[in-house]
Amino acid sequence: MSEINTIKKKTLGDRFAEFKAMSGADKRRAVGGVLINNAMYIIIAIAVIFIAIKVPAFLGLPSIVNIISLTAAKLPIALGIGGCIVLTGTDISAGRCVGLTACIAASLLQVATYSNKMFPNLGVMPLWLVFLIVVAVGALVGLVNGFFVAKFKLHPFIVTLSTQLIVFGTVLMYLMIGTNNGQTLSGLDTSYTDFVRGTLFTIGDVAVPKYVLYAVIITAIMWVIWNKTAFGKNMFAVGSNEEAANVSGVNVFMTIVLVFVLAGAMYGVTGFIEGARIASCSANTGLNYECDAIAACVIGGVSFVGGTGKISGIVIGVLLLQIIFAGLNFLSVSANMLYIIKGLIILIACAIDMRKYLVRK
Amino acid sequence: MKKLLAALLAVLFVFSFAACGSAQGEKKAGEVSVFYYTFSDTYISSVRAAMDSFLKSKNIAFNNYDANGNQTTQTEQVQTAIAKGSSMLIVNVVDTGSNDAAQNIVNLAKAANIPVVFFNRSVDESVVSSYDKCVFVGTDYEMAGHMQGKMIGEYLLANYAGVDLNNDGKISYVMFKGQEGNMEAIARTQYGVEDCDAVLTAAGKPALEFYDASNSNKYLVDQDGLWSSAAATNYMSTVLAQYSETNGNMVELIIANNDEMALGAIAALQSAGYNKDGGKVIPVFGVDATDAAKDAIKNGTMTGTIKQDAEGMAQVLVQLTENFRDGKATFENVDSANVIGTWRVNIPYATYIGE
Repeated sequence: MSEINTIKKKTLGDRFAEFKAMSGADKRRAVGGVLINNAMYIIIAIAVIFIAIKVPAFLGLPSIVNIISLTAAKLPIALGIGGCIVLTGTDISAGRCVGLTACIAASLLQVATYSNKMFPNLGVMPLWLVFLIVVAVGALVGLVNGFFVAKFKLHPFIVTLSTQLIVFGTVLMYLMIGTNNGQTLSGLDTSYTDFVRGTLFTIGDVAVPKYVLYAVIITAIMWVIWNKTAFGKNMFAVGSNEEAANVSGVNVFMTIVLVFVLAGAMYGVTGFIEGARIASCSANTGLNYECDAIAACVIGGVSFVGGTGKISGIVIGVLLLQIIFAGLNFLSVSANMLYIIKGLIILIACAIDMRKYLVRK
Repeated sequence: MKKLLAALLAVLFVFSFAACGSAQGEKKAGEVSVFYYTFSDTYISSVRAAMDSFLKSKNIAFNNYDANGNQTTQTEQVQTAIAKGSSMLIVNVVDTGSNDAAQNIVNLAKAANIPVVFFNRSVDESVVSSYDKCVFVGTDYEMAGHMQGKMIGEYLLANYAGVDLNNDGKISYVMFKGQEGNMEAIARTQYGVEDCDAVLTAAGKPALEFYDASNSNKYLVDQDGLWSSAAATNYMSTVLAQYSETNGNMVELIIANNDEMALGAIAALQSAGYNKDGGKVIPVFGVDATDAAKDAIKNGTMTGTIKQDAEGMAQVLVQLTENFRDGKATFENVDSANVIGTWRVNIPYATYIGE
């Protein structure tokens, strides 16, 4: 660790002087290393340039706002899952959890006059209360996940596989409440839709939706939690070496539970936003969202080895996936290619990530 | 100690299952087994709700199975149900791409000598005809696409100038396809446009134009194959980032394979200032007539949809169940206008543009 810190403290000038002093072969190796370690950024840059040459509108204002909005919508879930990956774990219940919370939020915030309202006598609940409810529901799922991982030392994959199924069953039952009969939940109150996808401000004549602001706030909160709190430091300590963390007085049990609770709360936030963003929630909502979120984290350098990862990396990871999605649409490339490109990028990102560890050994 | 705990847990499970069983009605040999391709499909859920209430009111013991979109799961469920002593199979088959899955289920039913009724998701005539106690209840799946296309064509003729935002005399459209390799989705994607074009050209108007000339598919498909609103929202907002009124290339018409995708597209349109109070309305068409879509049509944010009669389908299925149980003629008390040959019943579609 100390070695890394001293490297970080070197100024650009020092590095340049060092580089100049190297022999030819070393220089080539150093340049190669820099290229490979920043391969993700280079790939993004090449992709953006290529798409922009083919379709100049890709760098137009509406397109950039669109990519930022798509990124904002997918950011909270990725930030939540990131913590689980730092603990060398994962969370595959995330998508279904988003689905459940989106359905709950939508059902509680239907217009009072909607013909097929799930709770006809409820009226429209205050937004903040519904927000707290869905965050609490998400956190509850996280609590169950965290408790079983921490208490019984079960692998998170197994625990969250179980909760994924339980949550999906709950969604299906929830959608059968009253006269709903499994129907899509829609007819949302304007206070809800305006709060989430209303216009934050307009640049030119392009409207930026409000959930972009919420994603920024969430990202800031998560950055503070990860970097400036004892809990955040404990999380990284437990992730890199659980035994060592335990010996040095970290409450490993509480740390693991809290990481999953925090992740669950983030799924609640995602569900709350997603419910209004897509405006029609069914049992399918949220399916496979965790795949993209995990992919984004891994691309952004949150390592499955545990103990490393940055909030900025996760943001980059989510952004890259949305650039690919929007870019391939602009290029009118067949959707089938998206799978292949996504797969290749994840594979390359992981290989680059592991290469750093192999070099260190 | 551990063994004791395990044994206790096992006993607990047996009791809890027994409790569940008695709560759902008496589980005796001879119940009707109903297999749904997935519980998460909105339209299938309305069929299921109607089926449940009809079967309960007729005092027919039944059990529902959820294949969760997986044919292997469904085939195993069929085998289990037959082993349990099912008196009849009602199957919403998962795999419609080939005949093998449905034929396999027919063979299983044949071996157990119990009737099998397929519904909703299409099964080939050759499969149904291979067993005399087999019937298919569906919709003429091509019909929904034909009716949607015709409805759109007629709407456009009546409102041509208003829809053609850039006044180039042509209407540019987006088509949202629910799933690759699904017969319904393929037919709706094809006929939704073809039949509309037929109406337009007959009236001397040019055919529809896909908004993106370089996209040779001429549709945007939900990559997860879920016909989901989220896929439509993501696509639509990306489309709107490139095509707008200021660029003179705004998308002027949206056709979706189902209502969920239509509603998803509307959500993206609303974020861009369309299809809400005080904004311009881009006509959006779906299929299914779900409650949410009907409400959107009532509010003027959506234009039209095609109604699939979920209750009508459930009614026919329950009627067939009774006919088989009582040994009556297969199609007794079923509207003969909807019976095709000796193998299928068609539930008619209807256009829906508000009440």
